[in-house]
Amino acid sequence: MTGRTPVRRGEILRLAGACAGLLAAAVALGTAVNTLRPASSRLPWVGDWEHHVESKAFRAGIPVAFLAGARDRVENPAVVVFDARIREQYEAGHLPRARSLPLGEADRRLGDYASLLTPDTPILVYCGGADCTDALELAVKLRGYGFQKLTLYPGGVAEWTEYGGKIREGGQP
Amino acid sequence: MSRLHPAYLWLARIAVAGLFLAACIAKIRDPELFALAVNRYRILPGEFVNLVAIVLPWIELLAGLAVLVAPARLRAAGALVITGMLSVFTIAISLNLLRGIEASCGCFSTRADAAVSDAWNLVRNGALIWLSLAVFLDAFRRAPSKESP
Repeated sequence: MTGRTPVRRGEILRLAGACAGLLAAAVALGTAVNTLRPASSRLPWVGDWEHHVESKAFRAGIPVAFLAGARDRVENPAVVVFDARIREQYEAGHLPRARSLPLGEADRRLGDYASLLTPDTPILVYCGGADCTDALELAVKLRGYGFQKLTLYPGGVAEWTEYGGKIREGGQP
Repeated sequence: MSRLHPAYLWLARIAVAGLFLAACIAKIRDPELFALAVNRYRILPGEFVNLVAIVLPWIELLAGLAVLVAPARLRAAGALVITGMLSVFTIAISLNLLRGIEASCGCFSTRADAAVSDAWNLVRNGALIWLSLAVFLDAFRRAPSKESP
């Protein structure tokens, strides 16, 4: 330590004061700008994240894939992709390779895909977008049937199309 | 680290400040998407997610500006705040990787098609922590002391 100037307590306090000032200015700026935003883009100080589908999936122990992960799985023929929406929505446009398995008909129609599925088959489920929970409920149901490698794509058809993903129409995958 | 050439220190200031100034733009432009990115870390209670999304980009902006153009003491404060943020980000990304959460880091883009975090993010953050610490130590040493004549 020879030759080094000891750091004085006052210097530490002045540094702490500068840090506090910088943080306080950031809080003031963030608050002011958020308050002045148009109501459509203003963020409430407390959001309802506990009821967001991704938070529900996390609590339910269902892994989540975002757009990049969903693209990888859709392109991977080893992954079975299930569309949890009603049949009419599926036929109007679904992700490539997706098969229709509406939540309300899952118990009855799961047997149609028995030849594709083993407990270790990787499965991706989705529905309309972040506002729907059908895909999460379907994933929980499938887990109850013993399927282990389930992944939820919460962005669903809405995000997929927004980012230029291909959509297939009709009743075939 | 404590005896870096002034030219390297200037490069470090430009690199650290430039990255943080670039990082705050998308977050300020779309706080809702940034809040979603914060929520995906699954670290904060839901009640604090929006608070962080509203304030954090402005901390990045002011700390970046301080590192780039402020006098020594404020520059040291900016670099220290950036070092702290980088440390927290690095821990958060590490936790996501360990838990197998396939999320983007939300660092520079809040878009859904942003690249998923990987070990490269940790290497980059490690280098940035080193640079911001070097800027901090240099600025702290240069900050005028009240006791000085």
